[in-house]
Order: sequence, then structure tokens, then C-alpha cells
Amino acid sequence: MDFLAQALPDNFWRHQNGSSTLWLWTFIGLVVGIALIFGLMNMPSQMRRPVVVGVTFLSGLFYVLLYFWPAPVARDPGTLPTDLVDKVGFWIEDAVPSVAQFSNILTAFLLGLGIYSVLRIHSRKLIKQQQDWAFSAVLLVCMVLMVIFGYWNWANRISPTGPLLDLQSNWKFQNYAADLLFDGLFQQMNGAMFSIIAFYILSAAYRAFRVRSIEATILLAAALIMMLSLMGSVASFWDGAAGHVSENLTLTSISTWLRDNLQTSSLRSIDFGIGIGALAMGLRLWLSLEKTGAGS
Amino acid sequence: MAQAPDKSLGDKLQSLNKTTLFAILFAVTSIPLFFPGMKVPNKPEESTIDLYATLMQLPENSTVLVASDWTDSTRGESGGQFEALFRIMMRRHLKAAIYTTADPQAPQVARDNIASLNEERVAAGQKPYERWNDYVVLGFFPNAEGTAVSIGTNVATAFKGRKDIAPNGISTDVYQSPVLKDIKSTKDLKLVVVLTASSTSTVTIERLSGKVPLAMLVTGVMGPETQVYYSSGQLLGLSKGLKGVYDLETMMEDGVKDYKGAPIPGFPNEKNLGRGSVYYPTLHFALALLIIAVIVGNVGMAMSRRKGQ
Repeated sequence: MDFLAQALPDNFWRHQNGSSTLWLWTFIGLVVGIALIFGLMNMPSQMRRPVVVGVTFLSGLFYVLLYFWPAPVARDPGTLPTDLVDKVGFWIEDAVPSVAQFSNILTAFLLGLGIYSVLRIHSRKLIKQQQDWAFSAVLLVCMVLMVIFGYWNWANRISPTGPLLDLQSNWKFQNYAADLLFDGLFQQMNGAMFSIIAFYILSAAYRAFRVRSIEATILLAAALIMMLSLMGSVASFWDGAAGHVSENLTLTSISTWLRDNLQTSSLRSIDFGIGIGALAMGLRLWLSLEKTGAGS
Repeated sequence: MAQAPDKSLGDKLQSLNKTTLFAILFAVTSIPLFFPGMKVPNKPEESTIDLYATLMQLPENSTVLVASDWTDSTRGESGGQFEALFRIMMRRHLKAAIYTTADPQAPQVARDNIASLNEERVAAGQKPYERWNDYVVLGFFPNAEGTAVSIGTNVATAFKGRKDIAPNGISTDVYQSPVLKDIKSTKDLKLVVVLTASSTSTVTIERLSGKVPLAMLVTGVMGPETQVYYSSGQLLGLSKGLKGVYDLETMMEDGVKDYKGAPIPGFPNEKNLGRGSVYYPTLHFALALLIIAVIVGNVGMAMSRRKGQ
């Protein structure tokens, strides 16, 4: 099936990078995508539901078939299918990259929706001068600046001379501006925000880790052993001293035992519960049994 | 007006105010700033030794698929892991195909980090790790689940349509690059390394486990949940948080004396110590303070109880 064969040099789904045909189809795709989203948003709910249910079922069915349909074994590029089961198996396997591309594009639309939502909410706040409108102004200015210089810098880097920009001596205004905004400001502010967590962890641990019950004592002892095992100097000293008596008494052995026997098994049971829950929820979403969200 | 009774020592010990605690933490974590080059003794963890051994035992010129799913918010840990991983890969002449499913900023963050490692190599008179010939950046894939399924089904088609700039300056299909030209099926991948600060580790395990050899470098908070997959044998190696970075740097410096009966060499006389060695003393002091604070609080509580009885 040619329409799934992205590997072919030129076909309906693939055109030369930078060609006018590619730009035309990109533009058409964008317009159609936006029109579809707005069309769905404005569709009467009784019409929207069957569309959403149908698309959800078909999308999910593909991955269900991928897992349960007999997959081609040791398939080489020239191998031909022998029967219907093989044919369907080949078709599913060939379709995987294209379906992944579709899902990537659809997910990328969520970024666009997010930007639209931020712009709408904060522009309204700014225009109507509602409470804290100044913060909205700062947010919008920062977003616009980051988008302009981010894309300008990105366009430079994917150009034929892009690799030269790995050397700072080849940078131009836009590259310095993007670097200042991302590395100089955003990165430092993010680092500062995250470092604040350390202060709250210390304060919370000091107040919460108290030997008030047997359970709290067990938790405290386990936490202390794990923290000590992360301290290289303590672990080296302890292991050196206890290693002469018994290998089982070394801090490394004790912390490894705790990790492998208590922590891992507890987390596995939690993961198992989450897995069953996710399976049930996945099934409900796929079959549109979940009333909220399925176009209602 | 009645005067409040004086607090006992026990009460004082268990009710230190926030400002005091914050000031002590600030002072304690600043100590390493006054002693640059401070080296803390270290004993690498088994999971990190396995990761190092896996990387050191890969045949030269093998292609490793690297999911670089981190940006600036975890650069303390992930940045150090990225540096250590790529220092090893560059020295072992391993090729890297880098992709991300976590953040649109991640590909550029990866490129920037490789560029700074290249500056280091050029300054040391070594050949830089070349874009296209040694590594390609495949870009951002917003749908982590679909992309992982696609890689697991057939990596030779998973990144079709992606391009990077060839040495002639032309944007060219990544499958024509020396990094991916010999990758005909998922089995040709010698290793998939996930360097992540988000749930992409779980997504990858769920869809790629058993299909490709996997290893991970995760943040400290993600350590316990990812340890599960290392213990079950689904991961060949695992580096967790800053301790994991320091472990890798320690092994790059000293090698491993005995790994399943044979030694694994390090990289003597090269720059091995990076962010792990710089940040680990700070973590060390912070952990020591945390333990002392917990002990002080409990001693105070015990003293107050005894006095009450």
C-alpha cells in the first residue's frame, strides 16, 4: 500500500524538504486540521458523539490488532505474504510508522491548543485589566519573545550552516538572544525554583520524621539507612569496619536488601494495581463507556 | 499578663524555627564552594557498575539509540548523566541517534551539551564528535507511546522522514547517515539508553522491554520506581540521580577492578570528573544535615517526654 510507504522518495505523503509542494500541503493540512477541530467543537453534541466514538474505536482497534494479530516472523524486505493472516499482519506492521506519525501530529496539535488557550485567557485578562493583569502582560511578552527568538534560532540551526553554530564564535544576534532567554534567564530561574524544594524537604523531614509509633520507627530506620547509603564516605567507612565481621552487616548489603526485598516488592504491587486500573480505564475509553469526554 | 513558661531544652530541640533551619542548610551546602576539587570517597552501586560495563563492552562503532528526555529543570542530575554517558560514548567510538518524546526543547539541550563536550575534546587535541558522522538528532516526537511502539516494531522505518544536516550542508534523510545506515531492523540496535526525568521510562519499558537491550539514567526521585525494572532484569544497567553520576565518574577515573571476574578499564589521564564530582559533596553535606536534623528533633521529643513523665 503506497500511501503507507513513507520510505518511497516521493508520494502523496512525502515530498522533498523545502519544496513548494511540501509547503502547500503543510498549509492545506494545517487549515484542514484547524477546520476539523473547530468543526467538531461547534457540531451539535448528538452528531459529535458518534464521530468521536467511531474515531476512538478505530484508533484503539489498530493497536489492539497490533498486539493480538499474529505478527510476521523474520520478515525480510522482499518477503511476500502467504495467506490472509500474513497479509493483514504485514499491513499492520507497515502501517505502524505512519500511524505513529499521525499520533505525533495529533499530539502536537495539543501544544497549539495550549498556546491558544493561554493567549485567550491572558489577553482577555489584560484587555479588561482584571486583577493581576500585569502578570498576564509579563507572561504574554515572555511567551512572544521566546517564540520569536526560539524559532529564529531554530531556523538558523536547521539551515545548511546550522552545524557552524555549535561554535559560539559563529553566533549572531538572534542566537545570543535565544541563549540569553533560555540558558541565561529561564534555566537559572527554573534552577532557583527547584533548589527551594531542598529547604522545604529539610523543614518537613525535621518536623515529620518522629518516633511516635512502631510504623513511624520502621519508616525512620529504613529512611536513615537509605540516606546513609547514599553518602559515599559513610558507606565506605561502615563497609570497611563491618566487612571484617560479616559481609551481611555492611551498609551496602543492608541497603541493597531493603531495596530489593521491601522497596521493590512494594512498588511492584503498587504498579500491578495501577496496571489493572489503567487496563480497565483503557478499555472503557476505547469502547466509549466512559460518558465524560466522548463528545458528550 | 501571665508570662509564658520558658521552653525546656527538649522543647527547643524539637521546635527549631524554619529560618534557623534554612540558614543552616544554606551555610552547610555552601561549604563545598570553598573547597573546590573536594573528593568524597565513593563505592559505586551495582546497577551503575552494570551500566558502565554495558557501555564499555559494546563493540566500537555500534549505534546506540539515546532518548534524551530532559531539559534544564533537572540539569543537576540529568545534565551530569548526559555528560558522563557521552564522554564514554565518544571515547568508545559509539554512534548515537538521539530522539526525545518528552519536551520540544530537549533536542537543542542535547546538541548544546554535545557542543560543550566537543569544545573540551578540541581543547585536549582530540577529534570532535561529529554531527551526522557520529551522531544524529532525530528530533521531538510528541506521542511517546506511538513512537515507542514504532521503534519496537521496526526501527528502520520509525524515523522515516526525519532529516539532519550532512557535512555537505544539505538536509538529508537520517537513514543515509553513518549512524543509521546499517540499522535494518530493531535487532541491529546494540542498546537503547533512556536518559529521562519523566515517565518516558515507563512508556519505554512497557513497549520495548524484551525487544531491545535497554539501560536507563534517571533522576534520584525516579530511582525507586525504575529499580523495579533493573531488579527484574529488564534493564541492563541503571544510573540513579546525582549518586549515579558520581558513580559513573568514579568508574571512568578508576575503572572497575573486578566485574564478573575481569577488570574494566577507566579512562586515565582524561577529563572524567564533571558535574557529579562538583555537586556530590553538596548532596553529601545536605544529607548529613538532614539526618542530624531528624536525630535532633527525635532527641528533643524524647527529652520532653521524659520530663513530662
